[in-house]
Amino acid sequence: MLAMERIGYLFGGFAALMAVVYGVWNDFTEPVGVVGLTLGALLGFMIAGYLNITRRKLDGVPPEDDPLGEISDIAGDYGFFSPHSWWPLWLAASSALIFLGLAIGWWLVALGAFFTIPALVGWVFEYWKGPHAL
Amino acid sequence: MTLVATAEATTRVSGPVPSIPDYGPATRPNMVAVGTMVWLASELMFFAALFAFYFSLRGHLPDMWRTETELLNVPFAFGNTIVLVISSVWCQLGVWKAEAGQVARTGSLLKFKEWGMREWYVLTYIFGSIFIAGQVYEYAHLVAEGVTLSTNSYSSIFYLATGFHGMHVTGGLIAFLLIIGRTFTTRRYTHLQETGAVVTSYYWHFVDVVWIALFAMIYLLK
Repeated sequence: MLAMERIGYLFGGFAALMAVVYGVWNDFTEPVGVVGLTLGALLGFMIAGYLNITRRKLDGVPPEDDPLGEISDIAGDYGFFSPHSWWPLWLAASSALIFLGLAIGWWLVALGAFFTIPALVGWVFEYWKGPHAL
Repeated sequence: MTLVATAEATTRVSGPVPSIPDYGPATRPNMVAVGTMVWLASELMFFAALFAFYFSLRGHLPDMWRTETELLNVPFAFGNTIVLVISSVWCQLGVWKAEAGQVARTGSLLKFKEWGMREWYVLTYIFGSIFIAGQVYEYAHLVAEGVTLSTNSYSSIFYLATGFHGMHVTGGLIAFLLIIGRTFTTRRYTHLQETGAVVTSYYWHFVDVVWIALFAMIYLLK
């Protein structure tokens, strides 16, 4: 995790530096580049900062940061992954209808929403109901 | 429901690895939470494009900004901003309850100290809805004044930037509904549920911070 964190800081630091260089170069008459590069810096710092906070909360040193770490140290149950599901297909098809409706007419958006809402609810709740809910 | 695919370890585990159920090994970060943050960083780039769009138009058409921004109702938008910021506070209070594993209130509805995650998230939802209603009111007002999406460059970027943000807030509201709904359809409040509540709050805080930047750009720097 330390390596990922450092990549984030490196990218953020570089973009921040370039924002200043870019701004000084044109006397801050062109704000677009400065804004874009500053937000690019925030992209790096945001991920790096979050990983930093997360790393401090963990029990012990993550195996990848430990020179004596073993692959088996990161073994275990990683969480839940859906084995298969039909819901994303319905969700994608009905969402496509909504976006098509934006080009064709609002009546089609309403029709798309009619199909999208059950698809979304079905997808989200697929593993979250009944006695075996996650 | 019998098929549950997990990234399971092979049998060569050398020692006991402390593991949190539905969460992963204790030495690993929560994948859903880290994934959400990486996605939000990419969302930041999406809004960066809108910011760049706004500033480049403004840089080319300073005269348009001088006249067109007079129609903006800054005190109203400021009030709306405050509503959204407060909703983030309620959301965080809900997160702390979720992390403590408390879903529902233990006392009466008036004793807010005994509220659970559900009550705080409902309050967040109400505040978020007020924000969206405020946006709609503002749009209706501007359209009545003759400022529409296709009036000029200024109105285009105004509606695109605030509109895309409004769509994000609306998406967040739907996410809150689904997260609250989940607490009703399951018997136990698991770590996975808690993760869902926490990452929804990440999204909400992110959208809130983006709005503060948009508000400063559109209403304060006008």
